Amino acid sequence: MKMAALSSEGTGARAESVQRWVIAFVALFALTGAMLLVRTDLEKAHVALLYLLVVLIGSAVDGSALGLTLAGGAFLLFDWFFVPPYNTLGVTNPLDWLVLASFLVTSIVAAQLLAQAQRRTQEARARTLEVERFSTLGAETLNAAEPVEALAAIAEVIRATLAVDSCDIYVHRGKDADLELLAHASAPKVAGSTLTVARAGGLLEWVGGRKEMAVERQDGTVTVGTVVEDASAGTRDEARAGWFLSWGDIADARAIAIPLTVRGRSVGVLRVANEPHVDLAPGQREFLNALSYYAALGVERVQLAADASHTAALRDRDRLKNALLAAVSHDLRTPLTTVKALAHTIVERGAGPGDSNAISIEEEADRLTSLITDLLDYSRLTGGALFLAPQIESADDLIGAALARVRGIVETRSVRVTDDEAIMLLGRFDFVNSVRVVVNLIENAVKYSPPDTPIEIGVHREGQNLVISVADRGVGVSAQDRERIFEPFYRSPGTPPAAHGAGLGLAIARGLAIAQGGDVAYEPRPGGGSVFSLLLPAVEQPALAE
Amino acid sequence: MPERTESEMDAALKASSVLIVDDEPKIRSALRQALEHEVRTVLEASNGRDAIAMAERERPGLVIIDLGLPDMEGIDVCRAIRGWSSVPILVLSARTDEQEKASLLEAGADDYVTKPFSTVELRARVRAAVRRSQMPPVPGTDAPIVVGDLVIDTARRVVTRAGSDVHLTPTEWGLLRVLVANAGKPVTHERLFHAVWGHAEGDAQLYLRVYVAHLRRKLESDSYQPRLILTEPGVGYRFVLAP
Repeated sequence: MKMAALSSEGTGARAESVQRWVIAFVALFALTGAMLLVRTDLEKAHVALLYLLVVLIGSAVDGSALGLTLAGGAFLLFDWFFVPPYNTLGVTNPLDWLVLASFLVTSIVAAQLLAQAQRRTQEARARTLEVERFSTLGAETLNAAEPVEALAAIAEVIRATLAVDSCDIYVHRGKDADLELLAHASAPKVAGSTLTVARAGGLLEWVGGRKEMAVERQDGTVTVGTVVEDASAGTRDEARAGWFLSWGDIADARAIAIPLTVRGRSVGVLRVANEPHVDLAPGQREFLNALSYYAALGVERVQLAADASHTAALRDRDRLKNALLAAVSHDLRTPLTTVKALAHTIVERGAGPGDSNAISIEEEADRLTSLITDLLDYSRLTGGALFLAPQIESADDLIGAALARVRGIVETRSVRVTDDEAIMLLGRFDFVNSVRVVVNLIENAVKYSPPDTPIEIGVHREGQNLVISVADRGVGVSAQDRERIFEPFYRSPGTPPAAHGAGLGLAIARGLAIAQGGDVAYEPRPGGGSVFSLLLPAVEQPALAE
Repeated sequence: MPERTESEMDAALKASSVLIVDDEPKIRSALRQALEHEVRTVLEASNGRDAIAMAERERPGLVIIDLGLPDMEGIDVCRAIRGWSSVPILVLSARTDEQEKASLLEAGADDYVTKPFSTVELRARVRAAVRRSQMPPVPGTDAPIVVGDLVIDTARRVVTRAGSDVHLTPTEWGLLRVLVANAGKPVTHERLFHAVWGHAEGDAQLYLRVYVAHLRRKLESDSYQPRLILTEPGVGYRFVLAP
């Protein structure tokens, strides 16, 4: 396996290697010459050890290829010059073959081992570097206050590690496939100049949309594709990566665009560019593959942050809306309080023709109050500014509170409450708003039925619902009006002119019920009249200790 | 009613003064006209700071505070006055925020009315609040409470209805005692949790609703139209002595 660092050095590295070979052979011949001068004083062991030294040095400086070649050369020189008979390859003493063979085997094995050890060291160094880069990336990602800064850090790490001119990260904006450049990193030496490499129009959108990789070539052509199952296209690791074309296809690419996906969802595109071409060694491809996932997570973080701030903006708007409605409510109720109180004082004090006027003023103030309440509640419902606080509540409390509120209205009417099971029923609902619904249903029953007829309130459990029903003996609702009565501002043709309200009562009632997981329903009553029911989520009654 | 008669109570009301705290001159004027025949003096303050100073100087028999004051939150005025005085405080609320009403009660307010209220209702609340304050609990004189055919003897822990004993569980007794001790005043859910269970966690909400329902079924003639234990929507319960 050739080192990533070496391959990226290219032709310069090759020239240096040739240089080392020449030096090594010069050293070998120089040593041979020197030893020839003192041949008579030398033992075969001296020769063998000195040659071995050269082989090992060669192996150390330029790998096993040089080491092995030196070993072969040294063997021949040893035999030729230092094993009798001299200047032939022949051997007089058969034991010398043993010496020669031992030398050859030793030098080959030593050269191999040394080269291997060195390769391991280099690999370890490369891994250390990789780990350092990853940890830098992790730290930078965590340190970045803004998700966009983290993304810029990722882009820079990718660019620096792959030694390319630029690395850009694009992010999907909105629901369409439009991409926005969010992070850009370029090499200092070419700052600005690489930006002149225009990206192919629409290509990145294609990459993001199709989740396939694209390669921009120097001749202006583009190749796109997904994983290449063919084993010849690359190693198994590359196939697993999911987006690699054959690396042969990429050899002359000046830019590579990779889709960024998180859990199968396309979040953006990563683009690396280099002049004259992007040169990636297998180790770097893995690195790019791993880092593209980092980039994808970074992009996702940016998107989530954007979503969060959008949500916060919406929440602020709702809060504002509610504050506005509360202010309007306050501003309208305050003068009504004065009007009502003063009208009452006039009624109490005076005895004269003004009295009935004062009574009318007080009544109209009440009517205005309920109209304002309706309009404000309707605005809250439709404006999304309604805040409900559902809690466990009892049907007893609900009906009791509603009856207490309509006491003035219903005191002349007969109101009966019947509960089938005679046990207390519980539900989970917003108490105040549910009371409002029940009050509305009772008021309607009073309004739309003859004064001498009873109003019956029922409470029972129906499946998962707690049902509060209000039944009257009025004229009922005609078939074509049964849904329309829940529409806002709808007044059925039979509405008595004296009936209060803006025609919002049932629309609000149903809106409030639905907002807490319930509903308001109408059904005609056997024997004449109407039954309006409020349905609310029921809660099981607990077993109690003393 | 023990100790004092109705007329003595009303005499007490007539002898007391009321402080109205509202930034709207017209509301102050309307309230003054509604109350001036009920009490000795009507005092007015247009902001929280003046209200606190005046309450300290004049020692009124009742304070009525509007929540929308220009300089202070109504709740802070409540706390400030409660710091040194047990004068009944009645809150005027234009808001329908029950949570706020509950926290005002927690902060020491005695009662609240929601704008626009009727003069009759306001007077009834004022009268009830002054009466309560004029009737300090005297130890050892826990006379039984009689409401219609119901007799509640908290000292002997006995409840009879139409002459026959009504059995209450310890929890029901605990609830009833807190409600009776605060008769006439709304008592928040929170306070009931703490008084009866000592904490407000878990299913306290659920149990409170259930025990109140049980209590009503034992004490009320119609648990759907209670006359003793009234529901204060979103706030709590109120035990009424004079239905």
